Amino acid sequence: MMLKSNTTVQSATAIRSQARTKRAAGWRNDWPLTIALVILAFITYVPFASVLINSVKDNKQFFTQFWLPTVPFHFENYSKAWPIISQSILNSVVYSTPTVLLVLVVSGLTGYAFARYRFWGRDIIFFLMLLLTFLPGILLVIPMFVEIKDLGWINTTQGIVLPWSAVQIPFGMFLMRTFFETLPREYFEAARLDGASELQLFYRIALPLATPAFSTLGILTLLFTWNDLIWPIITLLDASRYPISIGVLRFSGSFSTDFGVTFAGYTLASVPLILVFIFTARRFMAGLQGGLSI
Amino acid sequence: MATHSTLTSDASAASRPKSRLIPVYMPYLFLLPAILLLVVFRYYPAFSAVFHSFTDWDGTSTSNFVGLTQYKALFNDPIFIKSVVNIGIYTFLRTVFSTVMALLGAELVYNLRSYVSQGIWRIVFTLPLVIPTTVVFLVWRQVYAARLGLFNQILTAIGLGGQAKPWLGLPDTALGALILIGFPLVSGFGFLVLLSALQNLPTEVNDAALIDGCTRLRRIFSIDIPSIRGPLALILILGINAGLQEFAPMLVVTNGGPVNATQSPGLYLYQQAFTYGKFGYSTAIGTVLMLMTLAFSIFILRSRYRSAHDVEV
Repeated sequence: MMLKSNTTVQSATAIRSQARTKRAAGWRNDWPLTIALVILAFITYVPFASVLINSVKDNKQFFTQFWLPTVPFHFENYSKAWPIISQSILNSVVYSTPTVLLVLVVSGLTGYAFARYRFWGRDIIFFLMLLLTFLPGILLVIPMFVEIKDLGWINTTQGIVLPWSAVQIPFGMFLMRTFFETLPREYFEAARLDGASELQLFYRIALPLATPAFSTLGILTLLFTWNDLIWPIITLLDASRYPISIGVLRFSGSFSTDFGVTFAGYTLASVPLILVFIFTARRFMAGLQGGLSI
Repeated sequence: MATHSTLTSDASAASRPKSRLIPVYMPYLFLLPAILLLVVFRYYPAFSAVFHSFTDWDGTSTSNFVGLTQYKALFNDPIFIKSVVNIGIYTFLRTVFSTVMALLGAELVYNLRSYVSQGIWRIVFTLPLVIPTTVVFLVWRQVYAARLGLFNQILTAIGLGGQAKPWLGLPDTALGALILIGFPLVSGFGFLVLLSALQNLPTEVNDAALIDGCTRLRRIFSIDIPSIRGPLALILILGINAGLQEFAPMLVVTNGGPVNATQSPGLYLYQQAFTYGKFGYSTAIGTVLMLMTLAFSIFILRSRYRSAHDVEV
């Protein structure tokens, strides 16, 4: 089994110069492609647009006019939905932040060790860890639930954060190893000659250079923790501790009679990551597309 | 190598002759946190799951060894068989459809001449990725709703109101409706990976193809797709792995119904363990699921590398 990944993020100038070459070559114009893309984008966004439009209607407006916005706008739907969803959003932040940090630190250390040291058992340990990426998570859910229960960690933050981190680390250490292998050895040799300790080599040389790979891993981990449903649904018994992935389900129960409030709740649940995306769009996409391959 | 470690930058290189000695324990120190976490939360549960699939475990510390009883019961359980058939159909159609659509989207964007429009379209098809998946499922449950569902409203608007039906409520249409959640399935992780793979291809090859009078369609099939085989195989493996384990859409949208029409092994495992307390039975489901996933992953990896003659670019 061979696996490779290439996390080098193409610089904007490189893409731009490619685009210029392509333009010079001139493969007819963009219009037919743009029309196709507009159609695909339109279909993709219609369900979400429909939710957004109907989130400011009361039930009467919703039943009489499905497609178009109607006045008056019922913005109070949002203030009704907020108390139902706010705790879940906060919980998700509380669970996701330490998970992302832990995954970055542990994967960084592990990937670095595999990339830069030779030691007894290196290849077999690496293979055993990589094997975990092929293990279906759902199989482990039951013994892990019993384990967490025996530890007394049901309903706790660490009961979510540590297992979540363990899910992401095999892939993370693989990604980081591949990245650290691409760093020129000369950097490390020069620093060692200047008297840097092994730990200094790691956090003064390797870590600062690894920002692109870390952002890839960080974003993938954030998306995983934000979306995972099964583990929180099993280990959290107390509704006040639910993350967003379970929290939004409350709207489908007793609140489903008020469509406007339900849709406002869906919208509010989506806002945090959309904000993250808006403020970090370039890095976010560069991180996600990191040239993954096998 | 047994007494001390040496520094190297690549796996195949022999140990460096004059490098400074590093304490033997150093690399293990770096590995320690990962090993601890993985042993406790990955390896031990994996062994525990496979072990308990041969017992009548109910989640407590005691359990009796029952041999293959759970597996025999499993393969005689019509609901489990039904769930395996369902997940096979679901995984196959959804993986094929979403890979084709992601490739279509990536090619459309890649073939735009303007760098600015490439960037804009990339954002357009990335944004839906950050909407929580539970929200996506709930929105699509509303899309398929019998009364005031978007889909039925569209049918009514174009004069096909007679075809309107509760799409998730009928055994014949529920599974198809689940497969098409997120239609047209362009937007997603696969789109980004494929687009970046295409953008990293050297332009010289395309220019040469153009000069040789190669049509765009011909180029896509003869140059683009063979060049991005690696990312395509990755997306297929991820898609199949995720598909076979699928649990969330069934739980949120249909709860396996109507009459098990959308039952999946993942959901069935969850119900057996946490509704009925049959932990041994559900670990047997999980073990079968693991073997299925491994078989497919190995199959794809093998077919990817059997005929691989990748040109390093």
